[in-house]
Amino acid sequence: MHQHFKKKNPLEHVIEARKKGRIASSETHGMELPGHVAAASDAAKETTLILLILWALLGIEDHWFMVTLIAGWLIWKVGRSAILGWARLERLHRVIEEERYEIEHHRPQEKEELRALYQAKGFSGKLLNEVVDVLMADDNRLLQVMLEEELGLHLESYEHPLKQASGALIGVAGATLIMSFGLFFLPNWGPPLCALVTIALSAGGAAQAEKRSVLPAVIWNLAVATLAASSAHLLAALLL
Amino acid sequence: MKPYVFDEFFSSGRAETISPFLTPTSRKWGKHLSLRSALLSLTLLAFAFSFSWFSRDLSLLFLLMVYFLSGTPALINSLHDLKNLELNIDVLMTLAAFVAVAIDSALEGALLLVLFELSHGMEDAVSSKARSALHNLNHIAPKFAHMLDQEGIFYEKSVREIQVGEILFVKNGEIIPLDGVIIQGTSSLNLVHLTGESLPISKTIGDTVPAGARNLEAALTIQVTKTSSDSTLSRVVKLITEAQEAKPRLQQWLDRFGKRYATSIIALTFLFAIGLPFLRSMSYFGHEGALYRALAFLIAASPCALIIATPTAYLSAISASARKGILLKGGMTLDALASCNLIAFDKTGTLTTGQLQCKTTDIPDDMLAIAYGLERNVVHPIATAICHLAQEKRILPAVVTEFRAIPGFGMEGIIDGEKAVLGRPKKHAKRGVLAFLEYRDQTYLFEFSDQVRENMQELIQSLPLQAIMLTGDHEASAQTVAQAVGIDQVFANLLPEDKLDKVALLSEQGLAMVGDGINDAPALARATVGISLGRIGSATAVDASDVVLLTDDLHQLTWLFKKSKKTGRIVKENITLALLVILLTTTPALLGYIPLWLAVILHEGGTVLVGLNSLRLLR
Repeated sequence: MHQHFKKKNPLEHVIEARKKGRIASSETHGMELPGHVAAASDAAKETTLILLILWALLGIEDHWFMVTLIAGWLIWKVGRSAILGWARLERLHRVIEEERYEIEHHRPQEKEELRALYQAKGFSGKLLNEVVDVLMADDNRLLQVMLEEELGLHLESYEHPLKQASGALIGVAGATLIMSFGLFFLPNWGPPLCALVTIALSAGGAAQAEKRSVLPAVIWNLAVATLAASSAHLLAALLL
Repeated sequence: MKPYVFDEFFSSGRAETISPFLTPTSRKWGKHLSLRSALLSLTLLAFAFSFSWFSRDLSLLFLLMVYFLSGTPALINSLHDLKNLELNIDVLMTLAAFVAVAIDSALEGALLLVLFELSHGMEDAVSSKARSALHNLNHIAPKFAHMLDQEGIFYEKSVREIQVGEILFVKNGEIIPLDGVIIQGTSSLNLVHLTGESLPISKTIGDTVPAGARNLEAALTIQVTKTSSDSTLSRVVKLITEAQEAKPRLQQWLDRFGKRYATSIIALTFLFAIGLPFLRSMSYFGHEGALYRALAFLIAASPCALIIATPTAYLSAISASARKGILLKGGMTLDALASCNLIAFDKTGTLTTGQLQCKTTDIPDDMLAIAYGLERNVVHPIATAICHLAQEKRILPAVVTEFRAIPGFGMEGIIDGEKAVLGRPKKHAKRGVLAFLEYRDQTYLFEFSDQVRENMQELIQSLPLQAIMLTGDHEASAQTVAQAVGIDQVFANLLPEDKLDKVALLSEQGLAMVGDGINDAPALARATVGISLGRIGSATAVDASDVVLLTDDLHQLTWLFKKSKKTGRIVKENITLALLVILLTTTPALLGYIPLWLAVILHEGGTVLVGLNSLRLLR
């Protein structure tokens, strides 16, 4: 067994490579959406929840306190989103470099992997040989196939880290605006109402973009947010 | 989705702007990121400065953002340098910028960071085009070849896997993937990518053919004689790589100077911090203490003016050149241009237009009509020249029937019931480009030559450098062109390797090389300065060169050489001024003769002067 396979057969090697690909490409905000939409939805929900809990616990009568808090939170969310995006991009670029090295230096082993991949897809005999030969003929094509088939990566499908961060910025800013409306104009019952609206909108929008059922997504998100805020409120009443 | 071409991504140094993983629409977010970040920092710094008169906290908030945007990358780079035990001007600048915060001079520190990032960002933006010298060669080199299996079916095979002795097929119009010998077929090959010669040459059974040549006519069967790693095209790639690595780096002087300067200043800072109380009666701590004075010295000695001394001058000159249609790949090119004493021209396509002109004028009109009738059926430089001559003389083409192209030779057809043959003679090869026409037992000879560009003699005379010619063409053709343009020194019959050796030798005296073909690329990369022609030049030549004449107007060279000399003068003035300012501010500040704020004002005044001096190059 060639050391390239690390004591595994080609198919096991491919399965491990896919795992590596998944780690390299994992969406920093935990969803398979274009980065900026996921970032916006995620940031909006988190911002809303933090403001809701603070309102429930402290009342937030000092509006400047909220402004300073949100300014810091906004910078953190935007910066973190960009850093995570760049980290993912760096991981992906490293993976592509490694795969290119493998193709250049371990061609027979790459050919075995390709054969195992297409055998698993049902190809056999002469057709399998032809498919493998055609794919091995062009390094450029081979690299694309190995990235997509072996590592399970998708080309041209991620947003630039700064675009992703701009999504986070819009999420925090949007949620803050809606919550501010509640805090300033309806201080008694406005914040929870605005929080429900914000969370429902961001969860529903994300579910629609992901082509999931909107209603369960909205309800589940609202339920978790209510549980979190209410638990904090009740625990504070018990312990503080 | 189209198949992604990874070569460009790798040759760009994994640039975000062409990352295969990013969506095409979001790639633009990564364009000139460093420059954009520096400009944002500059704006924030302006706010910080403005608010420093009214609200210290607000000013500090903006300064914090400046330190975040410009300081974080500088800190990372400096820590990398320190990890590699490298003490350079970057480390000094970062140290000074962060130490400035400790002695309440954050504004000055931020200015240092912004200027530094701005100069780096601008340099990156200017030189980003120069990174993909080999990318275009990869476009030309076929990745796979057509092979024949035992059942007579064609299949594709990666050129990396093809061994010596294997048989491959090259169809009409395809590029030959590997060096080999023709074992079946006759055709014409265009070697313009390899030799710069635009005239196709005939190849038949037994002839060797190089990888990278384009097969123009009939299909060829070739037996491979060299693997992909040894092929002609790979050799050109290797030559370019070696030439680029061997290129004299003028940056090295500044780097060496920067290292010595940084080491000296940091060492002096420590020395003053420890030694001042022994020389003068002062304590270590407090605003009049040795530590404070040493840190003030470090900030005053931070090379603010020095940082912008060269990039502003270069960028002004680059900008002025760009307005004239001259693309300079980096500021160091101007230094290199100023140091040149010789200028070498390639012949075909550079001194000449690369298009053939029919020199024979005594051909009877009816014979020219026959030649026109035959040649208008094909695409070939000789055909173009004959058709052009006939059209100039307002001669109509003869009616040709039973036309037949003969690969590797020429063509034949029937005119008024008689057979006419037009082709290239195997004899008279040394007389230049010839074609003959046989009709009714009569033979007529056509002679062709390359057209010399207009006003080349005036240009050669006006250049402040000694002109020479380097060409792969034969001696007679080279001498004819040299005489026409007024060049005395000619080196002919040069293969790309020979040309490279000659250029390496002449570069010791300072050589500017002007060329356009892929065969010129190694020489362009190796010369003190490589100059290529943007419109007609091959993409590889353009990438391998330091200067691109976007309009192909060689007459701009005179202006460019003058500009480079002026830039050199201004850079020297700037460096002198910057060092003088540093010297005049650091010593009094250290000894306590002038307060730190005055030292900083003098320091920044010097920076402004240096900037203004550079702007003179914009004219």
